[in-house]
Amino acid sequence: MLGSVDSCVLAGLDVRRVHVEADIARGGDGKFSLVGLAATTVKEARERVRSAIRNSGLEFPNTRLTVNLAPAELRKQGTGLDLPIAIAIALARAHKAPPPGTAFLGELALDGSVRHVHGVLVAARGLRGLGYQRIFVPAEDSAEAALVDGLEVIPCASLLAVVNHLLGTELISAAQPGADVHASVEPTEHDLSEVHGQEEAKRALEVAAAGGHHLLLSGPPGAGKTMLARCLPGILPPLELWEALEVAQVRSLLGELPRDRPLDWARPFRAPHHSVSSAGLIGGGGGLALPGEISRAHQGVLFLDEMAEFQSPVLQALRQPIESGRVTITRSGGSVAYPARFTLVAATNPCPCGWAADAVRACRCTRAAIDTYQRRLSGPLLDRIDLQVAVRRVPLETLASEPCGETSWSVRERVVRARHRQLLRQGTLNAQLKPPRLRQLAGLTPPSRHTLERWSTQRGMTGRGFHRAWRVARTAADIDGAEQIEEHHVLEALGFRLQDVAA
Amino acid sequence: MAIVGSRRPSPYGEAVAEQLGLELGRAGVVVVSGLALGIDAAAHRGALNAGGVTVAVMGTGVDVIYPSAHSVLADAILAGGGALVSQFPDGTAPRRHNFPARNFTMAALSDVVIVVEAAEGSGALITAEAALDLHKEVMAVPGSVFSPLSVGTHSLLRDGAGLVQNARDVLAALKVGGEVLDDPLPTPKSLGFGLRRERDGILSHLSDVLALDASEIARKLQLPIAEVLGRLTALELDGAVRRHQGGYVRALRRGKERA
Repeated sequence: MLGSVDSCVLAGLDVRRVHVEADIARGGDGKFSLVGLAATTVKEARERVRSAIRNSGLEFPNTRLTVNLAPAELRKQGTGLDLPIAIAIALARAHKAPPPGTAFLGELALDGSVRHVHGVLVAARGLRGLGYQRIFVPAEDSAEAALVDGLEVIPCASLLAVVNHLLGTELISAAQPGADVHASVEPTEHDLSEVHGQEEAKRALEVAAAGGHHLLLSGPPGAGKTMLARCLPGILPPLELWEALEVAQVRSLLGELPRDRPLDWARPFRAPHHSVSSAGLIGGGGGLALPGEISRAHQGVLFLDEMAEFQSPVLQALRQPIESGRVTITRSGGSVAYPARFTLVAATNPCPCGWAADAVRACRCTRAAIDTYQRRLSGPLLDRIDLQVAVRRVPLETLASEPCGETSWSVRERVVRARHRQLLRQGTLNAQLKPPRLRQLAGLTPPSRHTLERWSTQRGMTGRGFHRAWRVARTAADIDGAEQIEEHHVLEALGFRLQDVAA
Repeated sequence: MAIVGSRRPSPYGEAVAEQLGLELGRAGVVVVSGLALGIDAAAHRGALNAGGVTVAVMGTGVDVIYPSAHSVLADAILAGGGALVSQFPDGTAPRRHNFPARNFTMAALSDVVIVVEAAEGSGALITAEAALDLHKEVMAVPGSVFSPLSVGTHSLLRDGAGLVQNARDVLAALKVGGEVLDDPLPTPKSLGFGLRRERDGILSHLSDVLALDASEIARKLQLPIAEVLGRLTALELDGAVRRHQGGYVRALRRGKERA
C-alpha cells in the first residue's frame, strides 16, 4: 500500500520541493523507518506522527512502515514535514491518490493538533512559483499564507480534520485570500515636528529619505541623534505590496510575524546594540544561516548608535551588503542569500567623552585619543556614507522658543514626489546610480560642474567622494523638482560632507 | 617676546596669534613660544611667514618633538634661523610636570609675555605669573565675553596686564619705536580683523569666536535651510567661513595671505 504527498523545505528564502512517500508492507515487525537524509528534527517526526495518528482516533499500521523523503540527496530540516508524513500514511491506508497540485506543511502535537511552523509565507510563495494551487498549513499560519495571490489556503486545526477533508466526509473552508491593501499606516510614534531646531539634520534626513542615501550624525550626547534617526521611517513612503511581502518573508522565516496582522506597511526600524556580533548583524547560525539585523532592516532603516563602539570586523562586514543590497552567507549546510537593502543611519560622538564639539562643556580627551577614535570611524565604511551632518545640542532655554518644524507627513509628501521622479527616470533611487548612468542621467550645468570640481581639488576629494556628492546633488534637485542640477544643489550636497572639512 | 595661549583656540585666537607673530617677526622681534598645538603653533607660523626668527622652548628633550605632528614646523623654525631650546636632557619624553618649568623658562627668555586666549587654569597663565615674578611685562589680547577662552586673558587685563590690539601696542611696550604712540591707532579693518562687507548678509550674522549652526542662521534670516546650507558652503569654498565645533564661524584673514 503506497501513499504520497508533496511538501517543501526552506533554504533561506529558497523553497525546495519534497515528495513524501509512505509504504505500508503486508507483514513485518511494525517498525517505522524514515529514510531520505532527514536531520534530527525530521527524524523525531516518527514519534510525533505515531502518537498524533493514534490520539486522533485513527489506526496506525502495525506492519512494517517505510517513509521516504525525496529527493534523497537534499538534507531536510524543520518540523514542517510532520503533517505531510502523517497524511501520506493515512492516504496509503485509505488507498487514495494524492490530491493534485497540493502541498502540505505543519508540525504535529501528540494529541493530533497542528502547530505553527516558521516561514509559511516563504513556503507559500515558493510553492505558488512551483505551480501548486492549494496548500494545507497550520490554522494559525493561514493568514500568512493567504497573502499569496492565486493560492487556495486550507487552514488545518487538527490531523483528523485534514483526513476528513481529504476523504470528503467534512470539508474545511479555505482561508479568505488576499492582503488588506488598503490598510492605513498608523501614525508614527516619532514625528519630525517634535524635534525643535536641528534644521540642518532634518534636511539631511529628508535628502536621505528621498534618495536612499546613508547618513552619519555626529554630535555630543543629548543632541537628539537617536530621536532624529527614529523619525526617518516616518518620512519614508509606506511600503509597496511587494516590499511589504519581502519584509514579511524575513519575519516569517524568523517566526516574528504577528498572527493577526501579517502584513505591516510601516518601514522597519532596527537599532542593534553596539555589542552585536557579526552573525547577529549580518546573519548566521549553524547549518543554514538565518537572517540578521541587516535583513530585518530590509526596505527600512538600520540605526547604529555609537558607531565607533562597534567591533571593527562587524562594521567591515557591512560593506558588501551596503553596496549590493543583499548578503550571501555560507555555513556548513550551504549558502543562502537574504535581501538587505536598508538605509543606514549611523550616530557617533565627536570624541570618546563626547563633548569635543560642544560650545559649553569642555572636552577632556587628549588629542591622541580623539585621533584614535576618529580613525576607527574612518575608512572604507565611512566612505560609503553619502551624508554627514554635525548635530549640536540645542540649549534648554531656546528649546522652548524654537518653532515647531514641519510634520513628518508634509516632509513625506516631498520625499514621495522626489522618489517618484527618480523611479520614472531611472527605475532606481539616486543612491544606487552607478557612475556611467550618473553621467548619462544627472546632467550638471557648467557652473555646477565647476563648483564640484573646485571643491574636489581644494579638499582632495576621492573619485568615489566626487560621485557621492554628485548623487546627493541629484537628489537635492529632485526634491526641488528640477531637471538639471543647479549650482545651489551642488553646494547643498557639499555642505553635507563633514569628512572633507575635517581633512 | 613670548606669545602663549590655549592649545585649543577659537579661529579668532589662532588668527590673532598668527597676525601678531607675522607683524612682530617683520619688525625684527624674536618670537618665543612653546611649539604646542593652537596658539603656540600659530605664533611660530606667523613669524616664519614674515621671514622672522622664532624660538621654540620645549618641555621635552630637543630631540623629542611633541606633538610629533609638529616636526615639519620644528624643521622650518631651524631653517628660518631660529632655535629649539630645552632645559631637559635629550630623550626626555613629554611629562606633565615638566611643562610648568618650561613655561618659566619661556618667561625668562622674553621681555614681554603676550597671552592670547587662555581659559581658567591654562598653562599660559603660569607663564604670565612667572613673567610677573621675573618683573617682565605681561600683556593680553581681549576676546569675546561669551567665550570661556577669554576668562584667563580678561582677568589678566583686569589685574593690570597691557592691552594688545595690534603689534604696535607690543612694540611700544618693548620701547622699540616709542614714537609710534603718536600715530593714530590703525583701524581694525586695516589690520585685517575687521568685518568684511557681507555677501548676502550671512557673514554679518556669524561670529569670529562662537560657532553658529545653520539652523540658527536660517531662523534669523528667515530663509529655507537648503538655501542657507548652500550659501554657507559657497562662502566656505571662498574661504570666508570655516566649520568649527559642529557649526560655522567667520574665517579671519590669515597672516599668510597678507604677507
